[in-house]
Amino acid sequence: MLQYVLRRLAYSVIVLFVASFLVFTFVAKTGDPLAALRLNPRISPQSVQNIKDRKHLDDSIVVRYGYWVQDAFTNGFGTTILGDRPILPDLWRVMKHTLQLVIIAELLAILIAVGIGVYSALRQYSVFDYSATTFSFMGLALPVFWFALMLQVGVVYVKDWTGYNIFPIASLSSVDPGTGIHFWIDRAHHLVLPILVLMIASIATYSRFMRASMLEVVNSDYVRTARAKGLTEKRVTMKHAFRNALIPLITLVAINFGALLGGAIATEFVFSLDGMGLYYINALNTNDPYPVMAWLMVTATLIILFNLIADIAYGYLDPRVRYD
Amino acid sequence: MRKRSLLLLAGAAAIVASLVIGPAATAGPDKASAGTVVFIHDQEPPNLRPSWVDNSLYATSLVDNSIFQGGQIYNNSAQWVTRLFTGPPKLIKSNPLTTQFTFSPKAVWSDGTPVTCADWRATWQIWINPANNPASRTGYEDIKSVNCKGKTGIVTFKKVYADWVTLLNSGVWPAKYTAGKDANKLWEDSIPVSSGPWKFQSWQKGTQITVVKNPKFTIAPMKLDRVVFRFIADTNARFQAMKAGEGQAMEPQAQLQIADFQKDKNFVVKAVAGYSYEHLDIQFGPKGAAALKAPYVRQALITGINRPQIAAALYQTIAPGLPTLQSDIFKTFEKGYVKHYAAYPFNQTKVISTLKGKGCTGGPDKPSAGNDKIFSCPGVGKLSFRFGTTSGNQLRALTFEVIQRQLKSVGIELVPRFQPAGLLFGTTLPSSDWDLMLFTWVESPASKITAKDKLACGGEINYGNYCNKKASALLEKTATTLDEATRTKLLNQAEAMMAKDVPSIPMFVRPVFTIASAKLKGLTTPTTLEGDFWNVNSWTLAS
Repeated sequence: MLQYVLRRLAYSVIVLFVASFLVFTFVAKTGDPLAALRLNPRISPQSVQNIKDRKHLDDSIVVRYGYWVQDAFTNGFGTTILGDRPILPDLWRVMKHTLQLVIIAELLAILIAVGIGVYSALRQYSVFDYSATTFSFMGLALPVFWFALMLQVGVVYVKDWTGYNIFPIASLSSVDPGTGIHFWIDRAHHLVLPILVLMIASIATYSRFMRASMLEVVNSDYVRTARAKGLTEKRVTMKHAFRNALIPLITLVAINFGALLGGAIATEFVFSLDGMGLYYINALNTNDPYPVMAWLMVTATLIILFNLIADIAYGYLDPRVRYD
Repeated sequence: MRKRSLLLLAGAAAIVASLVIGPAATAGPDKASAGTVVFIHDQEPPNLRPSWVDNSLYATSLVDNSIFQGGQIYNNSAQWVTRLFTGPPKLIKSNPLTTQFTFSPKAVWSDGTPVTCADWRATWQIWINPANNPASRTGYEDIKSVNCKGKTGIVTFKKVYADWVTLLNSGVWPAKYTAGKDANKLWEDSIPVSSGPWKFQSWQKGTQITVVKNPKFTIAPMKLDRVVFRFIADTNARFQAMKAGEGQAMEPQAQLQIADFQKDKNFVVKAVAGYSYEHLDIQFGPKGAAALKAPYVRQALITGINRPQIAAALYQTIAPGLPTLQSDIFKTFEKGYVKHYAAYPFNQTKVISTLKGKGCTGGPDKPSAGNDKIFSCPGVGKLSFRFGTTSGNQLRALTFEVIQRQLKSVGIELVPRFQPAGLLFGTTLPSSDWDLMLFTWVESPASKITAKDKLACGGEINYGNYCNKKASALLEKTATTLDEATRTKLLNQAEAMMAKDVPSIPMFVRPVFTIASAKLKGLTTPTTLEGDFWNVNSWTLAS
């Protein structure tokens, strides 16, 4: 197992290196972070040149990439081209916000999806099953940004009727969020709509997976054997079927969770949540490769890490799987 | 099993419900305290260092203009209003240019120390220090000396600097807090003092900046307790947040959503013509189409475009009556505005007859919406031009569609070359490798003094490479002419010559919009980049 993990980590380093170089090249070549400065007649060419010199923007891509690697390892991903702002503190801040959003959304989604999936499988072709299937397909088909916008519009309608703003439209906190428990209640209040948006797609996916997995297990030989041995239906379902049916879902959740930590881009953008996704969009808009690269490295590392965790977890949960 | 599953579902539902109902029970329509105005804005400043090369954002100036207050500031009609000075700066003599300002006895920093000429001189020294990176040293670098006597300063210039009034009126930085510091690192996350109506309180990164009333500012004190700048990146979310009461004011770009607010009695929408204007630049350089070097082709272009119809198509709903701009130098509302380009009214029949008269062939005989015949002219070839503008901008896409249709019906073809703003302005525009380019010049009341930069031969931002030597000489002269009336005369003389060449096609001044809660009184939409808060002292908020 250790050998397998080390081999996977070694591959990952190569993947990260190649991916970082390619992305650096694409971002650096496709946009000019100094475009706005050039268009401003009051900004002297010398001032623009000073920034280019400081950030080595006149050097070749390979040399610039070399400077970036140096900055990434010795200076916390360096600073932004405009504003000379340290990247790591900002990245750390937005990561914490994304974690709050994603952890809550995923936990709730898993709880609900498992419930729906198991019940649908046990009551296959029932009204509940058909309803859950319809809901799942709708959840999968809904564009995230559209659903988010519709929720915002809905809140405005409710406000027009009642005079009350039941949920905040944007941001992570109120103008005066308070401290302690008040701060966290305010934060939870602001996260309700984004969590709902994130949950819908996750519930749709996970519940379909759980239903399929549960159906496969309840029709397997060992479950039939357990029933033949005279175990109660409850024991058969919970002890023998449910636990084994969870295995594929756990791997899916692990992979999905890693990807979401890179930021629920559409959700964070529409709700203006100061998270990884919004950070990435803002960085792209400024054509600054340095924050984009920092985001990429963190996201790619997390995805690789969670993929590895998923594989290892699968090995532990399913004794038939061996890593040689 | 059934019971357990139901319990599981009930548990999940309870968690969701607790999130929903708990906070909602405490939510009200206006969570911000009385006297707090929440201003919704799209961009968050990278730092609080205003007018610096890495931060010349409007968002930063919105926050900073009322912290580093100027001697005089522009009101909503672009007229100077006295703030920290005792009155307008004075011209002592023209040669060498010598000027004087005096700070009011009431001008004090929020820590109690007076604002003096020493602060102005320190600011000048920061700006001219080659180690520092201000956005522009223009004007400051022409100063020979600043002699201070308490609150009065005498500024002597090395050469004539026509826009000296704007320079002297600029906001000053506190000498006490800048001495011995690296100016490139100042005001990174906060500003310790203020000379204006508000002072900095806090910055919740990624979310909001809060400024509170500066009790030491007695010149035009703020009635509000504080202003909170909330940053919402998504356009739709900004409008929805405004409707939901999460903000009391915003300054939106021209968007159709504004029309919803115009119908809503809970909001007041205002629109005024600003100093930024949309225009179609024409390429005269070697990389541009040969046909564009022929004056009759450029005249055909401007005559073949129905400019009033375009302004109406874009803004009829949200800013009706927007006039066509007929000058590249003066705005429609400015003193000195002469309609030089009104000499080219929309006339499609005239375009065809002009082109035919010059020997062009292959085009239509009369204007036709379904025409697909394109003219070819002697020595310059087919009248087919690359049309560049920013991608992802609905209004520009619509402008292009209208212009393309109008010109095609008279035998002139436009080929779209839309690009992201970064690429368009960073690479394509300066490269001069384009034929026609639709974009906005962001200007100020003083921009006309430096009109040479965009229109004179070899001008710094003359990306179209237009050159008329006689007009250039007049434009160069205006940059060193102190008398405004003389300057206006020279500019109009120059533009009268240039209009015959059609160096570009002015379209319309871009309207500036504000949406405010009906409870908010006193906000007046400004024409300049001084921003909505120029008169924040008059703002009041009904509870």
